[in-house]
Amino acid sequence: MMAIAAEKMAQYEEYVEALDLLDEESRFEYIIDIGKRADKTPFPADCMDDAHLMHGCMSKVWIIHEIEDGAHHFRGQSDAIIVKGLVSMMTGSFSGLSSEELAEITLDHVRGLNLGALTMQRQVGMMAMLKHMQKLSQRAERSPDTLRAAD
Amino acid sequence: MNDIATNTDLTGHNVEGGFNVDLIRRDFPILSREVHGKPLVYFDSGASAQKPRAVIDAMTQVLEEDYTNVHRGAHYLSQTLTDRYESVRGTIARFLNAPTEEEIVITRNTTEAINLVAATYGREFLSKGDGVVISDMEHHANIVPWQLLRDEIGIELKVAPIDDRGVLDMDAYADLLDGNTKLVSITHCSNVLGTMVPGKEIVRLAHNRGIPVLLDGSQAVVHSKVDVQDLDADFYVFTGHKLYGPTAIGVLYGKAELLAQMPPYQGGGDMIATVTYEKTTYQEPPYRFEAGTPPIVEAIGLGAAIDYVSAIGMDKIAAHEKALLAYATERLTAMPDVRLFGSAPEKAAILSFVQDGIHPFDTAATLDRAGVAARVGQHCAEPLMARLGVDGTVRASLAMYNTTGEIDIMIAALERARSLFG
Ligand SMILES: Cc1ncc(COP(=O)(O)O)c(C=O)c1O
Repeated sequence: MMAIAAEKMAQYEEYVEALDLLDEESRFEYIIDIGKRADKTPFPADCMDDAHLMHGCMSKVWIIHEIEDGAHHFRGQSDAIIVKGLVSMMTGSFSGLSSEELAEITLDHVRGLNLGALTMQRQVGMMAMLKHMQKLSQRAERSPDTLRAAD
Repeated sequence: MNDIATNTDLTGHNVEGGFNVDLIRRDFPILSREVHGKPLVYFDSGASAQKPRAVIDAMTQVLEEDYTNVHRGAHYLSQTLTDRYESVRGTIARFLNAPTEEEIVITRNTTEAINLVAATYGREFLSKGDGVVISDMEHHANIVPWQLLRDEIGIELKVAPIDDRGVLDMDAYADLLDGNTKLVSITHCSNVLGTMVPGKEIVRLAHNRGIPVLLDGSQAVVHSKVDVQDLDADFYVFTGHKLYGPTAIGVLYGKAELLAQMPPYQGGGDMIATVTYEKTTYQEPPYRFEAGTPPIVEAIGLGAAIDYVSAIGMDKIAAHEKALLAYATERLTAMPDVRLFGSAPEKAAILSFVQDGIHPFDTAATLDRAGVAARVGQHCAEPLMARLGVDGTVRASLAMYNTTGEIDIMIAALERARSLFG
């Protein structure tokens, strides 16, 4: 286990602290707020294609992956606002990590966000997003060319 | 004998020829629970209905006092439970007004019942180039078995269209009953649009051409009185868990002369007459189609569920649901941002809708916060979603235990969704 530098996890910690203060109903509205804010940052329409689609979601989720100086950055999009909120919490929390660091992120981190209180299924959905991000980062490091093609 | 009926004390449930929903609700223990701190509003009975105390008690009683295997023992428990299990066949036959109980095959669910017909009747009587007519509002359970058969023997799947209200286009349907059509398999009630399909007319038109008909009654038996003799359906299928009964039990009604000609579905115990390594002979229907230990406890539960709805009266249940449907339709159509799908004149209490500019998932999540359990997605009917031009809908499917007050809760939650997402 390697420790991930605290500043790289700042966004994640911010979410954890914010959610910790809220009751369940407010958490629900908090996620919607994040989803709506994410809605204002444009997500390239041509990336809402099958190549960026994550399979196995009740609503559609697209994830863009980019590497900058060995750090993996993600941007997410969904057609449902709540899911957009969830995916942007995930991409916001876990962007900027190396693929080794990303591989250290586990279910415990997802649980730490305390969204499991909402439903189990949502937690499973978040885990699926995490696994997808981990897969994208590892695949990119194995063959950087595929990444560029997919971008 | 009918031990089961004694579990169904419904004194006072029907007041003055009416219907006392408060008393009905007390029969369903789960309805007193809360979700997210709010009273549960269960609007997902179309996916699976809640169970009355009579069903829970009947199943518990068997497990605690009378349980053993059936059809295989000379001992007392086995004989009495076999009698009781077999008596459920009679209960089901009376419920559907089937001529005899030998025409009632116990399956795992609707899905298995349709697969059974496709695999036995289909393989025996259909061949390459033969047509099977379905409709544009089938559940996947009445699409995929026929596609498997298509891939295996080369039948042709023909789809009868619906109009924008969700009403089956009967002229187009009649046109599809041409030369190569050898079977019709159509839903009796749409699980998405609530459309009640004119089963009797469907059958009459097909029989004019000598074509047998299977009706998928998964939703229809829950919301209306079904009479297979009046329909003259050749096959009629339904699933126990939507009829307030347990999961893992379903029913295939088949006319005796058809069942008699059909080969076995699966092989094993219970379905054989004699077995030697050289040659095995099979039981008569319905046993020929029931390989292995059947769903014994579930059958007792289904029998109790049928006794329960029958004691209340399918006509009373239908009238209550009709009033709920009218109220819900009025409230939903009064909301400018709600688009309701399905406005067939004959319709069961199933309401599919979307809120303009809001993803159905977001709508359903907001309903969930209000304690309202509704289904979201494609409802196992992807081709119908394509026909409606949507990715998915929210579906509120109502049942005998729902109230207008619960509809008000849903409407308030939809208003909240509008302000949260609008
Ligand atoms: C019309 C219809 N047909 C078939 C089915 C399948 O029922 P089951 O999953 O119990 O086999 C359903 C239930 O979802 C249904 O509504």
